[in-house]
Amino acid sequence: MNIENTKAQMRKGVLEYCILSVLRDNDAYVAEILDTLKDAKLLVVEGTIYPLLTRLKNAGLLNYRWEESTGGPPRKYYGLTDTGKDFLKELTHTWDELQTAVAIVTTQKNKNHE
Amino acid sequence: MNKTVNINLAGIFFHIDEDAFTKLQHYLEAIKRSLTNTQGREEIIADIEARIAELFSEKTKTDRQVISIREVEEVIAIMGQPEDYMLDEEIFEDEPSYTRSKVTGKQLFRDTDHSYVGGVSSGLGHYLGIQSIWVRLLWIILTLASSGAFILIYIALWIFVPEAKTTADKLSMRGEAVNISNIERKIREGFDDVSGKVRSVDYEKYGNQARTGASSAAKGFGSGILLLLNIFVKLIGILIILIAGATLIGLFIALFTVGTFGIIDAPWTDYIEMAGIGAPLWAISLLTFFAVGIPFFFLFILGLKILVRKLKSIGTPAKLVLLGLWLLSIIGLAVLGVKQATQRAFEGEVVITEVLPITPQDTLFLAMKYNPDYSSGAYKTDLKLKFDEEDNKIMYSTDVRLVVKSTKDSTGRIEIIKTADGSDYKDAKQRAENIRYATSFLGNELFLNSYFTANLNDHYRDQEVRVVVYLPEGSTLYPDENIASFHRSSDYYGNILNYDQEGNYLKIAENSVFCESCPQTESDTWDEDSWDNEDEFDGTIDFEGGDSTDNVKIRINGKGININKDETNKIRISRDGVEIQNN
Repeated sequence: MNIENTKAQMRKGVLEYCILSVLRDNDAYVAEILDTLKDAKLLVVEGTIYPLLTRLKNAGLLNYRWEESTGGPPRKYYGLTDTGKDFLKELTHTWDELQTAVAIVTTQKNKNHE
Repeated sequence: MNKTVNINLAGIFFHIDEDAFTKLQHYLEAIKRSLTNTQGREEIIADIEARIAELFSEKTKTDRQVISIREVEEVIAIMGQPEDYMLDEEIFEDEPSYTRSKVTGKQLFRDTDHSYVGGVSSGLGHYLGIQSIWVRLLWIILTLASSGAFILIYIALWIFVPEAKTTADKLSMRGEAVNISNIERKIREGFDDVSGKVRSVDYEKYGNQARTGASSAAKGFGSGILLLLNIFVKLIGILIILIAGATLIGLFIALFTVGTFGIIDAPWTDYIEMAGIGAPLWAISLLTFFAVGIPFFFLFILGLKILVRKLKSIGTPAKLVLLGLWLLSIIGLAVLGVKQATQRAFEGEVVITEVLPITPQDTLFLAMKYNPDYSSGAYKTDLKLKFDEEDNKIMYSTDVRLVVKSTKDSTGRIEIIKTADGSDYKDAKQRAENIRYATSFLGNELFLNSYFTANLNDHYRDQEVRVVVYLPEGSTLYPDENIASFHRSSDYYGNILNYDQEGNYLKIAENSVFCESCPQTESDTWDEDSWDNEDEFDGTIDFEGGDSTDNVKIRINGKGININKDETNKIRISRDGVEIQNN
């Protein structure tokens, strides 16, 4: 097992959830999503997100609209579809469960060690 | 001073240094390659280009500013290496198949860094884990052994196996895992400029590092099984390639020798010529080549796809063209087949009757007349092509059937019945008439030709000749031994001549022959009626006894033992087994 590998996989595993969460309240274009994720240190490089967005869009969780921008190319504004919202709710639920579960397991482990 | 080029990135205009442009171009190409198996690739690329354009726009203060290699490098640092664009499928797929691509990440690439011709051999060497010199040696041997045909496989591999361009490709080629950690290290080491010379020192060092890592990771039982499975799949791929490749090569050779130049005089070329299909030989060869070759070509590609994950597609237009070509060939062959079938829809018959001056007192000697020029023919029904005395191409066959019949007339006669197929009755009859067949009668000897001939432009339409010899009852027939194979299957036509009676004087009776000089032969089957025909059984032990109510007969001879009571209860022991009949 490679520690870097595991770390990267952990990060990637929650990436889908995080992208959907960023878009929960308002639509955003790629750079905004990226900024949020980079601020949270969830993303090192931007490359990973493009295939992921396309995949989420193809799965019907996201849709987008074009918006003109000043000084740059037109921007793709992504937003959640109804399916995406349901999906996000489901994920949030799972995430909460998982968080609790992980918390229980890790603290128990600590107790055993003490 | 630098030369600049103008580019349009996502609809935005940029001046860019030439070296920066090259770098950017290679970067985008590398991304495209790493997204080979990803859905919506074009869209992703468009998104990435838009993002790069956005980043460039942020970095340029004025319209006149030129993008230099520094800006490109900064953008690449932000965007990440091509490998970062690859999604780890196993994380997102419903059924995770962990380590499948990790453990045996070896892929077939062409190693152009160590190439003599196209880098195929060294690539195969990496793939198979042997030194490329052996692969090269094998190529040479196979090429010589197959008289050059293996070159075609080499060329096919050259075309379809991608070149190892990026470092990731080169790692995959050597079987080093391209994983996130390697990529992170790689980001630190910097991106190889693929247009320039490969930094072989870095590459070797990096390759060796990764190799030790990979080999230690590969230890473990589970990965071993996966490895075996993978090898099995690859073996199937190799098998498919070999089968399809060999077939294609065979077809190629067949097309260029038989089909076009007629170098090899194969039997089927004669057949096709005689069949008169209505299309030249080369066209039929070409149709057959496409009809058979195209599916095998796709099979070949399939085999390669199993071996090479990042195989370049031959492209939809090419696929459609091939599919269309294949359908056309099939339709063409079907049309020719139907045409050929209609050519044989009707059967025509011509009967020529000749008087045979044989009276009931006469003896007829009957023999086949062989002509060494027209006698070869392993199968009777085959028509063969041949040049006659005037060097015309003609067809001949030994499909001559002899039938002997009795007649109540005072003299005998011969009927020569010629049959052939045709598209209508008239056509068939005309063709039957065109069959040349001769008999000769001299003294009291009748000679039948063992063959008949026909013109090539009559084509092969099941031409047959049947000779029926009518002999008056009471006359004597002496069939020569050489007629044996010509009346073997004539019983359907009422032939009265039995097998193995050749070379004997035979008396013609009503619908039968009576052998005067045949050695007494036992009949093959033990006839029920023979019991009462005492004359037929010599040298047997018979016992008859019983009282007024029981009538028992016992016979013992070479055939077995037969016990018979009251003609209804029987026990028979013979070489066929034991038979008990109880009524």
